[in-house]
Amino acid sequence: MLLSPKDASRSLAAVFTPIKSRGLVDEVCGRIEQAVETGLLTSGQRLPNETELAAALGVSAVTAREALSQLRASGIIRTARGRSGGSFIADNVLPSRERALAQLHGLSRLQIRDLALHYQAIAAACAGVAARRSDAADIATLRSFIPAMDDDPLSWRLALSEFLLEVAAIARSARLARELIRLQADLGTLTLLPCADAGYRGRTTLLLEDVAAAIEAHQPGASETGVKALISATTDWLLTEQAKRY
Amino acid sequence: MTKTTSTAGQAAGSPDAPDYPRTSGPSLSGPGPAGRAAAELDATIAGIEHRLAAWAAEAGAALAALSGKVTGTAVDKLIRPVVEELVQLPDGYAAGAGFIANAGLLGPGRSYIAWWQGPDLEPVDALANFSPNSISRYVKAEWFRIPVETGQAHVTGPYVDFLCSDEYVLTFTHPVFTRPDGPVAGIVGIDVTVQRLERGAMPALRRIGARATLVNADGRAVVSAAPDIDAGDLTAPEAPCTHYSVGRTFTVWSDAAGL
Repeated sequence: MLLSPKDASRSLAAVFTPIKSRGLVDEVCGRIEQAVETGLLTSGQRLPNETELAAALGVSAVTAREALSQLRASGIIRTARGRSGGSFIADNVLPSRERALAQLHGLSRLQIRDLALHYQAIAAACAGVAARRSDAADIATLRSFIPAMDDDPLSWRLALSEFLLEVAAIARSARLARELIRLQADLGTLTLLPCADAGYRGRTTLLLEDVAAAIEAHQPGASETGVKALISATTDWLLTEQAKRY
Repeated sequence: MTKTTSTAGQAAGSPDAPDYPRTSGPSLSGPGPAGRAAAELDATIAGIEHRLAAWAAEAGAALAALSGKVTGTAVDKLIRPVVEELVQLPDGYAAGAGFIANAGLLGPGRSYIAWWQGPDLEPVDALANFSPNSISRYVKAEWFRIPVETGQAHVTGPYVDFLCSDEYVLTFTHPVFTRPDGPVAGIVGIDVTVQRLERGAMPALRRIGARATLVNADGRAVVSAAPDIDAGDLTAPEAPCTHYSVGRTFTVWSDAAGL
């Protein structure tokens, strides 16, 4: 039976679903965590006080205080008392293998596959357009993100996500770029795990070179296939690792 | 602070200005309707560039008057009112604007960002001013590096701006000097979204031709009247075709083809 507009129950259901938004406190914590991840804030560094933080992020002092206390509870910052006191970025906050493993085992096989499908769809769309719009300067920048085999897992992970963001930048679609950033945040520290494996690094390096070559040669089809293979390499590794638990 | 003459987004030239001497190309046309439309686009872009140059001069003089005691609060106080005027201008083009200090102005190796976007003046990269290595986020960016290295105004893009708006934008930047022969103290800049530019430029482009296209120095389309050319596509001028200079670095091709 055809679905007439007045029976469009599926789209209406979405309209009446309650809106769940992350609270402001979570948002502030997220910003600080992101700043640590990207190296903007580093271990041992003093954080602004409540008032400064609130002013910079445009939130109330109460929100800033709660965020600092939440960050303290999760071990991202530590607080020292006394004359040289204040809040500092903790010494060991960089994403750890243990934390990534815990995240991996918290996910179902279905969730990982579904996330990968979404990631592939967006990244492949970027690669297809990028192949049409690339110029020589774009390719030089893209190649600069191909990491060296012996880089440490953290740098590898950063280089891989930056490589795909650069593909989105070459595509010059703001919507696709924003979606890609969101998906990379959803994947979180998971992608750190395969980067510690030399076999994965070897396979991935070849794939990165293929993608850069296809985008340079203005071949949308090959660029899309290459990017999908790159994301499959990561998902396959994660699913294999996760299966070891059973 | 003194008011400057032209504001971003308002035409710098008078409506009955004579024809534009910088127009060049294989089939040089007179003032005619297409020439006047091109002059209108040039006035829009040049208006943004003149406003930025005036702001850079003003900011340089004001920073020099602080006589070496430059603090973040002082910079905010100088820059914010101008940003407010620029982004809240009813027919303005600025989506965001601000100042970024070069290393040395506030202290060795330290950067300072006074940049806001949108009508609500949302601060951009708010955490960066608390970071000791925030300057490393900017030194390599084209819109910071080129005006600092060359001492000249520059336009970056169009590009997807991951640092501020996450939009497809052009960033106009200009170096700021506190002494004529001194090092670059920082840069002032204005972000213009391609979307805003499209709205402003499309009527004039259509008067120039059904395939008239505004391109950057690399021949990349910014706004095009041709249905098959999108912002971001690489294009070439179709011969015979009139070329009109727009601002310092842009060109309108009366007839463009996608590559």
